[in-house]
Amino acid sequence: MGTALAPAVRRAFESGTVVQKDDTYVLNHTTKYLARANVDERHNYGQFPQGDPRARICESWRFPVIDGYYDPADPEESYHWNEVTFVYRTFDGTQPGSVSVVGTFAPLYQEIPLRRIGGTPYFAVTVMVPKGEVHTYRYVVDGRQELDPINPQTAVADNGRVWSRFFTHGCTQRLSFEPWEMDILERLTDHILPFRTVEGQRFLDRYYQQLDRAARESQYPIAYRFDESVGIANFIDKLVAREENHRLIDYKICLEIINRLLRMRNPFVEPRLMSKEMYIELYNQMASGNVPGWDYGAYQNPRFFLQLLRRHAITGAFAHPKYGGNAAASGWVYLSERYRDPETGATLFDWRRVQEPPLGTDQQYRG
Amino acid sequence: MANGYDVVVIGSGAGGAPIANMLVKAGKNVLMLEKGPLFRTQDQTSGLSDFKRDELFATGPEKIIRVERAANWGESYYSSHVEPDLNDEPHIYRDADGRDRATLEGYTAQCVGGGTQLYGGVSLRFSPLDFRLKSFNENGAALRNDPNGDVKREARDWPITYDDLEPYYTLAEELVGISGTRQNQLKPASREVYQKPLPPNPISRFVEIGMDALGMPRYRTPLAVITEDHPPSGRTYPGGEAAKTGYVNRYGCPLGLKSSTWVALLAPIYGRPNFELRPNCTVTHLECDSSGNVTKVVYLDAGGQRREVSGKLIVVACSAIESVRLLKLSALESAEFDRRINQNDLLGKYFLTHCFGGAEAIMPGRYDKSLSVDSDWATDACATPDFIRSNGLWAGGAIYNNTSDQCLPISLARTHGSQDIDTIWKAFVEDTSLTGERLASFFDENFGTRLSVSFMANQVPLKTNRIELHPTVKDKWGRNVAYIIKEWHPHDQYLMDVFAEQCARVLRFGGDGGRGNYPVFEKGGVYQAENGLARIANHILGGARFGTDRNDSVLDPNCRAWEFDNLYVTDGSFMPTSGGANPTLTIQANSFRVADHLLSRL
Ligand SMILES: Cc1cc2nc3c(=O)[nH]c(=O)nc-3n(C[C@H](O)[C@H](O)[C@H](O)COP(=O)(O)OP(=O)(O)OC[C@H]3O[C@@H](n4cnc5c(N)ncnc54)[C@H](O)[C@@H]3O)c2cc1C
Repeated sequence: MGTALAPAVRRAFESGTVVQKDDTYVLNHTTKYLARANVDERHNYGQFPQGDPRARICESWRFPVIDGYYDPADPEESYHWNEVTFVYRTFDGTQPGSVSVVGTFAPLYQEIPLRRIGGTPYFAVTVMVPKGEVHTYRYVVDGRQELDPINPQTAVADNGRVWSRFFTHGCTQRLSFEPWEMDILERLTDHILPFRTVEGQRFLDRYYQQLDRAARESQYPIAYRFDESVGIANFIDKLVAREENHRLIDYKICLEIINRLLRMRNPFVEPRLMSKEMYIELYNQMASGNVPGWDYGAYQNPRFFLQLLRRHAITGAFAHPKYGGNAAASGWVYLSERYRDPETGATLFDWRRVQEPPLGTDQQYRG
Repeated sequence: MANGYDVVVIGSGAGGAPIANMLVKAGKNVLMLEKGPLFRTQDQTSGLSDFKRDELFATGPEKIIRVERAANWGESYYSSHVEPDLNDEPHIYRDADGRDRATLEGYTAQCVGGGTQLYGGVSLRFSPLDFRLKSFNENGAALRNDPNGDVKREARDWPITYDDLEPYYTLAEELVGISGTRQNQLKPASREVYQKPLPPNPISRFVEIGMDALGMPRYRTPLAVITEDHPPSGRTYPGGEAAKTGYVNRYGCPLGLKSSTWVALLAPIYGRPNFELRPNCTVTHLECDSSGNVTKVVYLDAGGQRREVSGKLIVVACSAIESVRLLKLSALESAEFDRRINQNDLLGKYFLTHCFGGAEAIMPGRYDKSLSVDSDWATDACATPDFIRSNGLWAGGAIYNNTSDQCLPISLARTHGSQDIDTIWKAFVEDTSLTGERLASFFDENFGTRLSVSFMANQVPLKTNRIELHPTVKDKWGRNVAYIIKEWHPHDQYLMDVFAEQCARVLRFGGDGGRGNYPVFEKGGVYQAENGLARIANHILGGARFGTDRNDSVLDPNCRAWEFDNLYVTDGSFMPTSGGANPTLTIQANSFRVADHLLSRL
């Protein structure tokens, strides 16, 4: 498992504290997705079993809503927190009397009541939760516990009980993949991105070395995996757990095929330790669509998987670090170091200027 | 205010907001219904904006088209956080192969402020000539690529002149908050209200050189971005180059420096007792009585409940396609409404966008393009009667450079080989050779080096270019979606070739110090794009044109629907021709004009 990351000093706020948000805020993040009359499953592209009511809802993964937190009295501390807004509604026309949420984010699993949003079928409550965490919860509807009818993420507890799940920004806990899958993913994406070119590697080594512990905690509080990766595998792990859950199956099948295939090609070395050339060869074969030893019965189009992986890799490398990739903004730093004015030495990609502190240096923008 | 609304305005973008602004300030009771959310700036909340400088906001995660029987069923799409979902509310267009495809084109943004939240903010006026293209062409020589004389037959003069609109242009520029320069514009202004433009990005130097070498009088592109404090809206400017963030086109501004209609026109009246804004409310149809009064506005509230309101005057401003659709859906509900709105067969006809395109080159040197607003330089050199006539054209257009395009790393990749919202990511995904060293060189070549020059010009109005209701595809509420049927006239194609060449010349002359041999690698008009029939450039115009002849128009000169007493339409749909420039400032100016007229009725 990845390490749980929020450094131990964060104590000014308490997880599970209710934050007052106006109704407009809740509706702004709800209506487009949950107000509807269709019964067809127009949002099912493989991620839901037939008949799952979530298949009618647009972007059900958005729930609970994860947003930034800001307290003008303590902006620095605020940056380590998210606001999580739980929204509940039924779709069968019934109207529950009371709804609350119980979960691992609140002390002692205390039940937190949701309030009815005036004149609508929605119930909602917003609570504070530290960044970089994974939590499970259930709703208590008129006294009976149930799973979140909207959010598709679930987790099975040790006792076999199913819970709804969410994770906050900058999360590095593995959610979708096994360690061996992560290893292969990292090797594959290494080859896609420019970071493992000779120069790229030199950059990464230098960059990670020069970051001392203090910088890691103050400047990059949400990117903690300093295993010299750019965090791409982690980004994909989160993306297929949430926004692009319909692609999890592609990864599961193809990583399995690739694992077998690599072991066939070299039975003596673990895939994670195989030579760069092995991966490049595989990459080129996948690009051509013709991969000797590929299980075409299980997955028809290796080129398609490669294309998916490339889109995810480049997004993860350069998206805001809160999505779990671009670790310590290394993707942005790579560009800002590589591209400099030949005369003044000034960077030609000054991303820090417009990003929020502590990641960037913009004195107005708060993220 | 419960039942005493003077005006109900539907839609809060460029067409709707000026009306609310003016009438509320005049003490009238105004209700505004807006389908999308009210996304606020940092200052308007406890501290964080709903808009972020985050590339994944502009182009979200993959979703897959599940629109029944659409020919692009199964293809991927990546909508922004304020675009409607394609599976919930698609626009359908008929492609060249005769098959129907779902598209995100023809939407701007659905949130308070509409398209002006995401727009590049290029705020050009139309030229005086744009208002009288029929007269201009009546006595001219024959036009190129127009064997049947379609263009002259279909050209229309506006029922108002540039001079009629001029005071409202100035008012709009003042209240919205525009920075730019005036000298060298072909569009006279009665009063100077521009704020000072920020210094241009150094890469735009090539455009300066090119335009100068070609004798194209240039000016700093007027942009809806404040660069100083803006008293009319109460916004303050933080100083320096704070507005130059690179997160411009397709991004809402978390600081409110971009002059969206929300921050510029609505926030200043928000909270007044005679103004009520209901976001997250979708109007489904209008009802009228037998004397031509719209008596009810029916909408679905934030929870999806059906509600009704009424007002003395009703203003529809949902952006052209959705306004036409709303009127057509209302006609489906009632014979009376049908008879009145379809008193002739023109509703939905003469749908317009722009002829647009341009040229792009990799310039010598590298620049921090993220230090940018949307555009630095513009010229009206191709809007003069001389230029138009000597090229055998019917109308002119504007040329300006784009500064912020592809200035961020993910956008560079996802727009590689494609620049519209339907085909985003496509070329990059397919170009699997871009990897490792080659991907590094791709960035080396393209990051901070590319410069594009664009044109925006009049499109020939054609009756066959039209918005209908799609017979079978329904939105998530069971309402028929809009069906876009359009093509490019051969003269449009010719015009785009002429303008693209002009853009290319700016780069050719700009790139090598005025000799004219600098290599330009991409050049063309939208008609050449693979999905050229879908593309709308976010400029959604026509379909309910105004005019002086009730048999030749849908709206009267005040934008009132002919057979109604109290129904007005004020988004881009009123335009009989699309103008030789980006449309938003003209939509805003016209709405201020209509607001004046409404005031005279209240
Ligand atoms: C990325 C981008 C860049 C652009 N750049 C420029 C530029 O540089 N210069 C320029 O001039 N123009 C630009 N535009 C175009 C500009 O946004 C539009 O011209 C302008 O917003 C159109 O004004 P409108 O009032 O017609 O529609 P909109 O501004 O789109 O407003 C319509 C509003 O109506 C609402 N609505 C729709 N249906 C309903 C309903 N049934 N009930 C209630 N409300 C409804 C919508 O949610 C929306 O808020 C750009 C657009 C985009 C998307």
